[in-house]
Amino acid sequence: MSSRRVTLELQPLFEFSKVVNSSLDLEFILATVLRTIMGKMLVGKGMVLSRGDGTQFRVRFVRGISDGLVGTTLRLARPPRTFVHLRRRKDDWATLLVSSELDLLIPILSRNAIVGYLGLGRRLNGARYSANDRALLRSLVDLSGSAIEKALILGQVHDANRNLDRKVQELNTLFDLSRELNSGLDLDKVLRLLSFSLMGQVGVRQYAVALERDGKLEIAASRMEDPEALRAVFPDLCTLKRASTTQELLKHRDCRRPAGELIRLGFEAVVPMHVQQKTKGLIIIGPRIRTVPYGQADLEYLYALGNMAIVSIENARLFRDAIEMQKLEDELMIAQEIQRDLLPERLPEIPGFDIAASNIPSKQVGGDYYDVLARKGNEFVIAIGDVSGKGVPAALLMANAQAALRALSPSADSLSEITGRMNDLAAANTRGGNKFITFFWGVLDASSRTLQYVNAGHNPPIVLRTSGAVEYLDKGGLILGVLPTRTPYEQGTVRLERGDILVLYTDGVSEAMNAGGEDFSEERMLEVLRHLRTESASGLLNGLLSAVDQHAASTPQSDDITVLILRAT
Amino acid sequence: MSDFKVNHREGAGIHVIELKGYLDAHTATDLESAFQRLINDQKFRIVVNCRDLTYISSAGLGVFMAYIEDVRKNQGDIKLTNMSSKVYNVFDLLGFPILYEIYKDEQEAIRKFGESSTGR
Repeated sequence: MSSRRVTLELQPLFEFSKVVNSSLDLEFILATVLRTIMGKMLVGKGMVLSRGDGTQFRVRFVRGISDGLVGTTLRLARPPRTFVHLRRRKDDWATLLVSSELDLLIPILSRNAIVGYLGLGRRLNGARYSANDRALLRSLVDLSGSAIEKALILGQVHDANRNLDRKVQELNTLFDLSRELNSGLDLDKVLRLLSFSLMGQVGVRQYAVALERDGKLEIAASRMEDPEALRAVFPDLCTLKRASTTQELLKHRDCRRPAGELIRLGFEAVVPMHVQQKTKGLIIIGPRIRTVPYGQADLEYLYALGNMAIVSIENARLFRDAIEMQKLEDELMIAQEIQRDLLPERLPEIPGFDIAASNIPSKQVGGDYYDVLARKGNEFVIAIGDVSGKGVPAALLMANAQAALRALSPSADSLSEITGRMNDLAAANTRGGNKFITFFWGVLDASSRTLQYVNAGHNPPIVLRTSGAVEYLDKGGLILGVLPTRTPYEQGTVRLERGDILVLYTDGVSEAMNAGGEDFSEERMLEVLRHLRTESASGLLNGLLSAVDQHAASTPQSDDITVLILRAT
Repeated sequence: MSDFKVNHREGAGIHVIELKGYLDAHTATDLESAFQRLINDQKFRIVVNCRDLTYISSAGLGVFMAYIEDVRKNQGDIKLTNMSSKVYNVFDLLGFPILYEIYKDEQEAIRKFGESSTGR
């Protein structure tokens, strides 16, 4: 080789090296290498592959070949380190490259490692590559090897940085969201923030968020054509333990059907939201705008996001439930007040009689009622009742009954007629609902010691004679408030002799339960009364109540306890 | 804490929303209501000027996602302008440039609305 020839070839090589090594832009370097070599060798088709992971090589750049190949990855089991005549090889990758009309593959080396390959097609002049050509090719490729490696490393650093940025952004989102979620307890707001994060951080356009309600999953927020179409897949997804792609779910027998349905609807991943290992919700998402499929790290991130949201959602619900509970308690307080105001503050004195009464309301507020009113002359109205139901409605019905009694009892009409009218009023008030009042009332003439009474379905009051005999005051008719009066109420009369005891009570007394589920019972009542029959009315009352108390012991009182005792003196 | 302002002005049928400060989960609702108002009023040609936007969180990006389809369905668009490189980086990380037209300055975005009768 003459020295002149060498200089001629060295000068362009030097220029080439300067250009290629002055850049860190991989695309530019590859384009320059390919252009220079194709020009020098008169080749119409060229390709550059760069090394990826392990033995994988990716098509980075093509000239004269379809762009469709760019991005394709080839696996070269034992990457050749020397020039390869592609048509002489049988490997899959060689066949693929030959099908793109490439003939020669040249390894690109940097510090003795393969960083890529240069593929070249047939020379347009039909010439073979001479030894000189090969030497020149070797030189050009060697000169660009370190530049390509540098650019590749830079690209990797750039990608790593982007991934790091993305991670930082993900953490920022979690932080941003947690701060905001903890500051508010509004369910709608939590769902909106979760939606924004799905769209903004994950970059999904189609999603649905379902929340558990009464044991079933219901759509709470969504961005899709027909959210109701998802309903059918919920039951099968409740047992999901971790976030999964729909493709992955397809491999599990139990999930094949719902996964197929989700894929059909354009969804790519399902994220369960757990509270104490129970599925409290699901996030179902479509593809991202970045079109990169969901990886394990993405799924884990989504799982964290979902679980942070579900804690806030549960808190928001508990908060709302607590408000509801507070409302109920307020209502109960009102009912208790109404009830307390209806009971007589003080009992009137009845000549020839000793009287005592007590009402012990239960926590739940039942609807017990009793009253003692002076009528005309020496007459007194005595009443006891028990309204069905609890809370404000029961208290109001009781107030109605009291008003009716106070308005109607002074009338000269018979007890039977008055009771009939009270029943009609009660029936009108309850409007056929399942509310009613068991009611007993009577008029005691203190001069004659006779009691005329009507019992409308109440536990029959007991008359305990001095002889020890017992009579029950059970004449009357139907409980009040169920049906308008058709047949008149029967009326009873009883005369109370000195020492006789009249006991009016509600079922809270006889049905007071002990830990064994056993009622206090009427028999026990009579036993106590007989035992104490020489006591005053208040002595009897206290004795009875403490017997009930002893019987029930620590069992909580479930119903109002009301007792009214009259003793003829 | 977070300081965020949304300013709205209109010229020749194009509505410019100027964002200022810190757009995160806390302030996202402000932007949300601004978009909601425009859409309720049938104003679909929207330019968002991000010149004074110092930070955007994912919840902020989510608001853009939430409205773009509504707006485009009505032959409008949301075009973004004047982003700092920090803010652009966040949009870019999540692949938003595929979905949104992002311009250097407001005038350019407004011109683009003029170029097509559909507003896109």
